[in-house]
Amino acid sequence: MKKWSAPLWFLAVGILLGLVPWLRTVLGFPIFYLIFLYFIFFWVAQAISWNILTGYSGYFSFGTGAFFGVGVYTMATLIDKYDFNFLSALPIGGILAMLLGLGIGFVVFRLRQLKGELFALLTLAVDFVLAAVVRNTDSIDGGFGVRLGSVQPPAFLGSFSTMMYILSLVIALITVFIAYSIYYSRFGLGLFAIRDDEEVAEGLGVPTFRYKMTVFSISCFLIGVSGALHALQIGYITVEGTFALRVPLFVILMSVLGGRQHWFGPVIGAVVIYTLTDTFSQASIEYLNQIIIGSLLIVMILFLREGIFERLRRRFWPSFGLLLIVLAAQLAFGIGGRLISQTAYAMLITIAFLLISDNGYARLTRSIQFLQAKKQVGVSDV
Amino acid sequence: MLLIGQALISGILLGGLYAILAIGLSLTWGMLKIINLAHFALTFLAAYFTYQISTSFGLDPFFTIIVTAPVFFGIGVLLQWFFETFDVSEFNSLLITFGLFIIIQSVMTGIWTADYRRIDFDINPYAQQSFWIGEFALPIPQFSAFMAALILAGLTIYVLNRTYAGKALRAISQDRDMAAAFGVNYRKMAMLLSGVSTAYAAVAGVFIAMIFALFPEAGVEWIGVIFAVVILGGLANVPGALGAGLLIGIVQAVTSAVSSPGMAPLVTFTLLILALLFKPEGLFTRRMSL
Repeated sequence: MKKWSAPLWFLAVGILLGLVPWLRTVLGFPIFYLIFLYFIFFWVAQAISWNILTGYSGYFSFGTGAFFGVGVYTMATLIDKYDFNFLSALPIGGILAMLLGLGIGFVVFRLRQLKGELFALLTLAVDFVLAAVVRNTDSIDGGFGVRLGSVQPPAFLGSFSTMMYILSLVIALITVFIAYSIYYSRFGLGLFAIRDDEEVAEGLGVPTFRYKMTVFSISCFLIGVSGALHALQIGYITVEGTFALRVPLFVILMSVLGGRQHWFGPVIGAVVIYTLTDTFSQASIEYLNQIIIGSLLIVMILFLREGIFERLRRRFWPSFGLLLIVLAAQLAFGIGGRLISQTAYAMLITIAFLLISDNGYARLTRSIQFLQAKKQVGVSDV
Repeated sequence: MLLIGQALISGILLGGLYAILAIGLSLTWGMLKIINLAHFALTFLAAYFTYQISTSFGLDPFFTIIVTAPVFFGIGVLLQWFFETFDVSEFNSLLITFGLFIIIQSVMTGIWTADYRRIDFDINPYAQQSFWIGEFALPIPQFSAFMAALILAGLTIYVLNRTYAGKALRAISQDRDMAAAFGVNYRKMAMLLSGVSTAYAAVAGVFIAMIFALFPEAGVEWIGVIFAVVILGGLANVPGALGAGLLIGIVQAVTSAVSSPGMAPLVTFTLLILALLFKPEGLFTRRMSL
């Protein structure tokens, strides 16, 4: 049920969000919100491009960090050592990540047995190998990190943070649009068939090797581009920061939380998780933040494997209403700190509501209806 | 020549340590279908326990095994109870233990901070002592880790092949339902195995505390190597894990000696990828043997 009007919708959302920097100056919000939104878009792009591979084709990758790292270090090396224009370095980061993906895919996808856990662990190994190589190659990093000087944004993109906002918005939108297009295409159906049963898919004429290579290279390209842009945001690039498990952990958690089966799931996951981590890292120390993230991953896997998006669709108005009520209550009483933290607390309560199983929810609504009926009839009549 | 010889020896000794970790991981993966990433975090938790106990009470680090091993046996049993209660599938176990790994790592950062920690040489004099065979040095902690690996591997092989419990475990790994039909108590056996595997992690942790300086994120560096050992050795294959551990240890040490330490992971994983391509069931597993 792909809609012909979809590109227009994406364009409209893009234009609306593109107006935010201008609105910010008019309304006088601090610049902090722009950076916050930059990070949201960055994680949306990362999570969605991971999900194009893993959610659609079922090949679970732990190696996002590797492709992200290729993007980051391409940008760092090209700007720092070769004086490239950063705008032209963006696609190069994507292409190099894609080439790495194609190389891995060429070897791995030929082997039937490298599925599931073995594929996951192999991609994790790629991440470690790449980290070791970068750490020991003096022309890239050599173990001391790369410090990027400030880049000069082109005139039409305004200040640095406005430019980062716009570029990440564009990348995120393109990524989501690609995910959407694949989801409703013949190619996407083929991928879902591979996810459900690869042998049967092959037997029914799905060109599994070609499809897997294509989807892997698309996913890697997008991760690479988004990583290359992120290099500018980080500024000081280290091997430990780039190839650490933080990126894969977050991306997996976002997709698992949002839901891997639908193209839109990871978007919700990214927004929720980044808002939460931003709040907790403001409120407390970094390691507490990690504890919360780890526990959330476990709770989600145990109790809500399909992600919150599916349940959100089934009970959209109750949960959206709950979110708004909690947010409004916090605003009215002036509790919860900044707007972002207030949103985060409202999201947490909404997630807790969504964790109620479908059976429990049905029972809840039934008893509410019953109480209402009782009130209408009058207690004495019951 | 001396350099290569010394590298070979330290590789073999380090390989022993790899084997202790790999045996536990390989058994729970192969027999219980649990891929336990938390194994690495637990190992370093045990190492920090060793550090703390021996520093606080001035105890010889070797003796801390008496405390840590039973404690971690209990943790392993609890872990398996958790997996059983929630009926966790093989793949989800990877995700859940990933979450657990992050949690334990963060707790360690919270308690012991991100600074390097090392047991004082007053308490841990072994760190500077070595046996000498001709011109080659065998550092005592590494050597004892290697001996521990041989003993544990031997013990595990004996239990698996010669005792009733071992028979039950092998039956479980072949067909869980069938084993249950013949009266094997899966829950009990699985908890036992998971406990033993985690106790092995604790033993490895004790030696790691004696050999290396500790920091909370160190577990990450071991994940890749140990999984390489597990896969090369073949799942639930104890002699295989031992052999693969020694092999990887030697390859790493020789690579570090000949070229640079940074090349070691590269060579290791090239080896792993080649093995996955040509002999995915493990180097030490006979084809068609189940």
